[in-house]
Amino acid sequence: MTNEAAAASQPFVMNASFWTATVIFLLAYALIVSEKVHKTVVALFGAALMLVLKILEQKEAFHVEEFGVDWNVIFLLISMMVIINLMKPTGFFEYIAIKSAKLGKGEPMRIMTIFALVTAVLSALLDNVTTVLLLAPVTLLIADALEVDPVPFLIAEALASNIGGTATLIGDPPNIMIASKAKLDFISFIYNLTPAIIVIMAAFLFVLKLIFGKRLRVKPELRQRILEMDEREAIKDPLMLKKSLFVLAIVITGFVLHGMLGYEPATVALFGAGLLLLLSGTHEPHHVLAEVEWPTIFFFMGLFIIIGGVVKVGLIKWMSIEVLALTHGNMFATSMLIMWFSAFASAFVDNIPYVATMNPLIIDMANQIWPHLQGIKLLHNPELMPLWWSLALGACLGGNGTAIGASANVIVVGLAERAGRKITFIRFMAYGMPVMILTVLLSTVYVWLRYYVLKI
Amino acid sequence: MKAKDVMEPITETLSPETTLKEAVNRMKVARRGEGWTGVKGMIVLDDGKLAGIVSIKDILRAIIPSYMRLTELGEFTWDGMLEEMTKKVAGKKVGEVMTRDVITVSEDAPLMECADLMVKHGLQRLPVLDKDKRVVGMVYIRDLYQAIVQALLDKEGE
Repeated sequence: MTNEAAAASQPFVMNASFWTATVIFLLAYALIVSEKVHKTVVALFGAALMLVLKILEQKEAFHVEEFGVDWNVIFLLISMMVIINLMKPTGFFEYIAIKSAKLGKGEPMRIMTIFALVTAVLSALLDNVTTVLLLAPVTLLIADALEVDPVPFLIAEALASNIGGTATLIGDPPNIMIASKAKLDFISFIYNLTPAIIVIMAAFLFVLKLIFGKRLRVKPELRQRILEMDEREAIKDPLMLKKSLFVLAIVITGFVLHGMLGYEPATVALFGAGLLLLLSGTHEPHHVLAEVEWPTIFFFMGLFIIIGGVVKVGLIKWMSIEVLALTHGNMFATSMLIMWFSAFASAFVDNIPYVATMNPLIIDMANQIWPHLQGIKLLHNPELMPLWWSLALGACLGGNGTAIGASANVIVVGLAERAGRKITFIRFMAYGMPVMILTVLLSTVYVWLRYYVLKI
Repeated sequence: MKAKDVMEPITETLSPETTLKEAVNRMKVARRGEGWTGVKGMIVLDDGKLAGIVSIKDILRAIIPSYMRLTELGEFTWDGMLEEMTKKVAGKKVGEVMTRDVITVSEDAPLMECADLMVKHGLQRLPVLDKDKRVVGMVYIRDLYQAIVQALLDKEGE
């Protein structure tokens, strides 16, 4: 019997365990939202409580896929972080950014468009935070050179990174989590989400031009400053850069083929991280490993265990029954509810705990609709698939709604403030919320047209 | 010898409310000891208490844009950028840029303690405090240099 089927047959009674787990879950959520305690601390302590209070056995938390830590997600994240940490000092990202600015010929609108595109593509292949963290400093420099306000550029990059990240399995943590739980491969994401993101990105660039096209003007002599920059000077370590690009190419090819080759994405990424560490010839891996975003990794681990607790006691199952009652079992209505609710939820709360909760909820829902199906037949049921894509689109694109909706936004706001350009919550939302609504509207049309009208 | 034997009196101080423009002007003309004009660092007093210290390095740190610290962008700066950025921060207050955690010594600190602190923390100057934690003077790295020269000359004289 598969795990999913086990979940379906799990007895679910509102006993003391049920309420204990529910209280831990709700308190943890509330604390994470309040930001009174660091979210990683909340997640780890909540996880510990689930174990100490015997809601979950340690064995379940550490070794059972359904209730515990999703090591596929953990190793995928760690490995990609290691690859990027090894790549950062080569100057590759500065090179790309300077080259982009020069391609823009020092014209602010062209530069903004190219930067948004580059950010989207890099975010689709790497994580959003890294992309923004590497491109934003160059953006600030370019804005100073052109004597223009950097804020529109920075906000455009944050929004583009969240849009771009939605396109692939590895682009954004919600996708990584969905892929792992729903057993979806890299190609499925490319096939189902990338077309939507291309359309959305085109619309986004059009909107950028509409808003900023007339406002951004610079003196010709300032453009010269950009044109005089030599992007080749950014490359600090050409040999390591070659090695990094070689490994990155292997990793991306590996992602494209992982479904066919029967490897999990984490295996591909771990191979890349191990290989690049080996090729770097480092005898001191300490600092590369220390730079891994451990608070994020531990946040995931704690969260998986907390969610495992409420899955085990049946809270998630109860929630899934309620959702189905709300939509009367209509799959199109359910997918739209998931998409729009996810978007607004992710705009205000961390989309990682949200998706961690929604994944088992969707599986429980499927269990009730198709009790006779199991495993891949259940997870990949043609009628269920649009729900996964709706969740991914809603949760990722929803991050654009507010300054706290996605980590990339938080980073950009922080960098801008340090540069003396405060972006208020309202100012970010003035750009972010309309973009979020526009992109989710486009996603709505996409999902409706593709899965419910054309059925392809 | 002790800190109080080599320290130089403090003739001028800044307040946290002083603008950088004014601070730089005051540092430029400040006198230190006999015949020296211009200092590269000054203590900041708030209500008579030591609130911080400002050096040329602190001012440069305020002038260099924050994004330059995050990544290697030195090659992509342009002629005139330093001057432009300097004008941008001219109105900033000393209180915003000063080093708050000032490393100080007591009047009776041996010179070795002064030397150790300067090398460990890469300092050029150490404010000297009396028992009531009031600043009574400043030991400059140059004063230590003179002490070293003295020691070497004494030895030669033996």
